[in-house]
Amino acid sequence: MAHFAKISETNEVLSVLTVDNKDVLNADGVEEESVGQAYLEKHNNWPAEKWIQTSYNTSGGTHKDGGTPLRGNYAGIGKIWDEDNNIFYDKKPYASWVLNTITASWHSPIGDAPALTTEQENQNTAGTHKWNYVWNESAYQADNTTGWDLTDALA
Amino acid sequence: MQKKVLTEVSLYYGDVSMPKDWEIDQNDLAHHILHSSLTDEKLQSSKTLDKLNTYIREHIGLEYDIHLINKETWGNIYKPAETTIPLLNIDPVDLQNSPDYTLLYGVKVDKCFVRIHYDDNRRKGRSWDIPLLNNRFIMFPSTQMYYITNNQQDSLNFVQTIIYEEMKR
Repeated sequence: MAHFAKISETNEVLSVLTVDNKDVLNADGVEEESVGQAYLEKHNNWPAEKWIQTSYNTSGGTHKDGGTPLRGNYAGIGKIWDEDNNIFYDKKPYASWVLNTITASWHSPIGDAPALTTEQENQNTAGTHKWNYVWNESAYQADNTTGWDLTDALA
Repeated sequence: MQKKVLTEVSLYYGDVSMPKDWEIDQNDLAHHILHSSLTDEKLQSSKTLDKLNTYIREHIGLEYDIHLINKETWGNIYKPAETTIPLLNIDPVDLQNSPDYTLLYGVKVDKCFVRIHYDDNRRKGRSWDIPLLNNRFIMFPSTQMYYITNNQQDSLNFVQTIIYEEMKR
């Protein structure tokens, strides 16, 4: 089965359809995206160039079985299609975050959240706390060296 | 202090922005409406209507997380200076089989207005006027009564109506 994402005029994924493998084979019996696109245009009333093939097995720029990743991520509904970088990714979560086009994901401008301490991990495991770092965009805008807030969801 | 919204009456409206060269063929829709009107037959399904319907369902789902199922559709032709009787698409004695949303689409319209009635707590009987333009849709809860007015003297107005049920997840 091949999966194709239906792309809106604003490059958002509207839906994802599954196409039988036989409907993406060219005359030589080789899988070709344009064949699937033509099939979808004919049967689904939407232009061929707005159907982009996507892989269920690709996430964060890697293939889960070690194969060749296809376009960064699987194109779920609401994801953004980036034609220039040939990837699908989520909507930008915060104004300051930057896109990594290799992993097709957004990252904070000051790096990943700090790791939890062993004590915090133990408390999470015991269920007495639920420590987690969440991004605070206002804090970052006020001071570009901060942004991660430690929160306890059980507090 | 916290707030919980128990009910909401929202209008959704906008243009149907199809990809270039894939625009809704308004002549085709108008033709079908005219045919249905002259023959008194049910509106035939068509590729154009399917294109419109799919666009609405997918975009409303994406933008507002409202998942619609098409219940019925029909087209109307309004004469110059015509105002409809009050229109209501729910059946008050059969709410279970009534639609959740009503969508109006301007097929070929000129100076076409929709007046939607609503209550604002104790302020009963309020109304909101919104113009229906060519290739523009207006969607609102089917519990709202509305009128359509052709507010000019020269031409017919063609309006497509689609009623939807909301699929709750």
